[in-house]
Amino acid sequence: MMIEDLKQKFLNELKSVAGPADLFQLRINYLGKKGHVTTALKALSSAAPGDRPLLGKKINDVKQFIEAELDAKEAVLKNEALRKQLSAGFIDITLPGKYSAIGNEHPINKVLFEIVDVFVRMGFSVEEGPEVEHDYYNFEALNFPKDHPARDMQDTFFVSDDIVLRTHTSPVQVRGMEKRKPPVRFIAPGKVYRCDADVTHSPMFHQVEGLMVDKDITFSNLKGILEAFLRQIFGPDTPVRFRPSFFPFTEPSAEIDIGCILCSGAGCRVCKNSGWLEIMGAGMVNPAVFKYVGYDPEVYSGFAFGMGIERIAMLKYSVDDIRLFYENDVRFLRQF
Amino acid sequence: MRASLEWLREFVPVSESAGEVAHRLTMLGLEVEAMEQVDGDTVFEINVTPNRPDCLSIVGIARELSAALGLPLDLPEHEVEAETGELDFNIDILDSSLCRRYAGRIVKGLKIGPSPEWLKRRLEKCGVRSINNVVDVTNYVLMELGHPLHAFDLGTVKGRRIQVGTSGNVKGKPEKLRFRTLDGNEQELPGDALLIWDAEDPIAIAGIMGGLETEVSDSTVDIFIESAWFDAVSVRRTSRSTGLKTEASFRFERGTDIKMLKKALDRAAFLMREIAGGTVYGKIDIYPGIYAPVEIRIKCEKINGVLGLELTEEEITGYLERLGFVVEKANGYLNITPPAYRVDVQGGFDIIEEVARSYGYERIPAVLPTAVIGIETQDIPQKLFSGALLKELKESFLKSGFTEVINYSFMGEQDLDFLGFDADDERRRIVRIKNPLRAEDAFMRTTLVPGLIGNIVYNVSHDNRSFRLCESSRVFLSKEGNSLPEERNHFAALLYKEKKRSLYKDDTQDFFVVKGVIEALFDTLKISGYSFARSSEPFLHPGQSADIMIGGDKIGYVGVLSPVIIDRLDIKAHSPSIVLAELDVDRIRPYSLPVLKYHPLPRYPYSERDTALVIDESLESSDVVALLKSCSSDLIEDVTLFDVYQGKNIPEGKKSIAFSIRYRASDRTLKDEEVDALHDQITGFIIERTKGQIRA
Repeated sequence: MMIEDLKQKFLNELKSVAGPADLFQLRINYLGKKGHVTTALKALSSAAPGDRPLLGKKINDVKQFIEAELDAKEAVLKNEALRKQLSAGFIDITLPGKYSAIGNEHPINKVLFEIVDVFVRMGFSVEEGPEVEHDYYNFEALNFPKDHPARDMQDTFFVSDDIVLRTHTSPVQVRGMEKRKPPVRFIAPGKVYRCDADVTHSPMFHQVEGLMVDKDITFSNLKGILEAFLRQIFGPDTPVRFRPSFFPFTEPSAEIDIGCILCSGAGCRVCKNSGWLEIMGAGMVNPAVFKYVGYDPEVYSGFAFGMGIERIAMLKYSVDDIRLFYENDVRFLRQF
Repeated sequence: MRASLEWLREFVPVSESAGEVAHRLTMLGLEVEAMEQVDGDTVFEINVTPNRPDCLSIVGIARELSAALGLPLDLPEHEVEAETGELDFNIDILDSSLCRRYAGRIVKGLKIGPSPEWLKRRLEKCGVRSINNVVDVTNYVLMELGHPLHAFDLGTVKGRRIQVGTSGNVKGKPEKLRFRTLDGNEQELPGDALLIWDAEDPIAIAGIMGGLETEVSDSTVDIFIESAWFDAVSVRRTSRSTGLKTEASFRFERGTDIKMLKKALDRAAFLMREIAGGTVYGKIDIYPGIYAPVEIRIKCEKINGVLGLELTEEEITGYLERLGFVVEKANGYLNITPPAYRVDVQGGFDIIEEVARSYGYERIPAVLPTAVIGIETQDIPQKLFSGALLKELKESFLKSGFTEVINYSFMGEQDLDFLGFDADDERRRIVRIKNPLRAEDAFMRTTLVPGLIGNIVYNVSHDNRSFRLCESSRVFLSKEGNSLPEERNHFAALLYKEKKRSLYKDDTQDFFVVKGVIEALFDTLKISGYSFARSSEPFLHPGQSADIMIGGDKIGYVGVLSPVIIDRLDIKAHSPSIVLAELDVDRIRPYSLPVLKYHPLPRYPYSERDTALVIDESLESSDVVALLKSCSSDLIEDVTLFDVYQGKNIPEGKKSIAFSIRYRASDRTLKDEEVDALHDQITGFIIERTKGQIRA
């Protein structure tokens, strides 16, 4: 066979290659040990010596041509196969993902930890105390004598004559001071109880109490710390107002208002048209309390403060019924 | 306290608008909670704090405004000349500690009738209902001057005599009495109640309410007006035990002005003669407990030191004098005598508060303290440690889709019965509340389960049919010999699911979902020696519940809620899957977050061998794993269960369990023959111990 015919024959056979197996066979038929090209090269030795160089070159050209064609065809086939594989693997990427929701922290705890964080960053440590408490810590050592009308400010759940459900986190002030010597700087978050239930009162609610005692702590410092705190929680431009009030365990006592965050001070239903929202109570620690814990009021002074978390959460999230926090409807809880 | 602006202006010439007056009052500590327009007048609703009984009157509030605004105070003087001498009428104070002063006047020949309109209107603005001219006058004086008065129908007072004392004083020994008050109710009075008696019987509860029999009525002609000082604690005790709260008791229990009572009496007599006619008789005034003024010594530096101000002695003196305090300067100290009506001012800090109020809280600068760092850090590692555990717990569950709830700390007898606790179950060590809002909330909870079960009922009834909840809270266990209960931190989780068509298949039993979260949590907390044992919690499915054990302690449980309980929940749901878990955080604490030490990473490859055994179905997988782990070979690195199967090709009462053991040596590459021999030895041991056989 003429070498040109061999090339033509190869090209014809290449056209009918359908897949990788045909291609493999074709490669063996031409380039294998007994393939046409190999055979032609072997036959070269029987050619006239003068023809050999030319003939050899021709055969080699054809060999290279066939190799290149086979490689090219192989690449095409591989591409085709890959394309087929990919198109078979198409999925509907518009279907929803397999969603595993992360749970939500309760809004009250969210606000509570936010508040705790601000004070911890100001160097306050965190103190805890029992929720079922001695009358002594809940009232007496906080300068609420027995049979005093100040006790009417807090409707108390009683376990016995001397044991109550704490009505505020203030007993932790006394317990915290009993445990250490000044300087004192701690906050006490926790649950408190009062027997009262309506749209704005819950028999169980949360407070954060705070206390700072050292030499030379002033009312001015109380204002400094609490203004800084309130502006962290409600924004740097929040108006803050201190006005006189009464708590048996502080003197002078103050009630602290912030400019109404709903009407910006213009007056609305929530702030009862006053433009102000009562947000926390505070004052200088009453020397009577220092005497109970054995601190010398001539040497030390300090301030205490407390706030209700539910009220702050209600204002922050515009929640108008305190009971929503305790119904625990997942549709409500998942909004936070 | 309701105060009318028009009435206030009678005593102090305020020209400011109602809004401005309200602001001034609020900034003085007399918070105006509401303002109401009545007939062109403004009525302020003022929240008077319990320490300021002196402000429970128009004159009291006017006094504060006068001091704050620097305006003169014009108080009415009513010296009533008796029109005739004293009568044959005796007053005996039997306990002068409970009644330090008792004064009275007799007015005869009164004409009882309606009050004039101006008086009625002023009373109505203060929220007091008009009754008749005599009673209205006593109420008017109460509102104006703040001192409670009482008028008796003189004709009904037996023996021309008044005695002030307890039943013990009068009868020799204390006894409970029944007494009909003028509201028509019969009261049981405690033995120590201070009462007003005529020659024979009690006629009034001192400082609280008069009796029905001596009440001023339409037919009354002669009256006796009482103006007295009663002990605050005594009035409060009697008021609390009888449940009677009146305008009078409200003021007496806060403390009244012992000097004012004479003025109030005269003012009432004056008005009665004006309004109801009659003849005023001479005054009787028994005053055994003479008022001794308080004297307070304080340095100006102390006042400035507490407030963070630099006020001069003159400024401080000026503020106090405007409030009616008498100030004397002596050796660098101020000697201060508060007026008798300021019963709240007892010590130096009260003076500091008065100065702060007068200066204005708003004007005191806000200055951050220069604080010392140090001592407080001592207990911080402990705090962080406890806080970290709770945080990890909550975060593990939040990440696994559990939403946090907060339930009330209450539960009731019904919950103990519902959950079926044994008589000796520690969760029956309840703390009982004496005055619960509802009988079902009479106990402090000893487990978080009732709250979560309540959450199921609430949510399902609101058509929420798939949720995961968790709660971190305290439980309360009464402790014998301790006055306070033990308060333990618990953490509970709940998974609720109803069958629902879903795009993606996930057939993991929910029990294992919750158990998996707990195992992952333990992994995070680096707790290793935990195990799960069959639980006997009465409210869980006996076959699908486990107690969680660490080091021999039960630290909690996880399990499917018992079908009996689900049935009793009475929720409209189709075979819901409910899994509950509760952990005692305080019991986990000692095992959690140990000091971490790094383990070197393995340097040689591992070999794995799989085996499937057919064993009795009653054998737990954990038993097999425990047996495998008991084989004492350093070369076993890990054991993994990868299949448990019952059904086709497995005999009845048997199950197939397949596990894989990973072998590795720390100092060389193991040879196949070595691993094969060891694995054969181990499977042989397991087969022998479980009486099982290799699954073909």
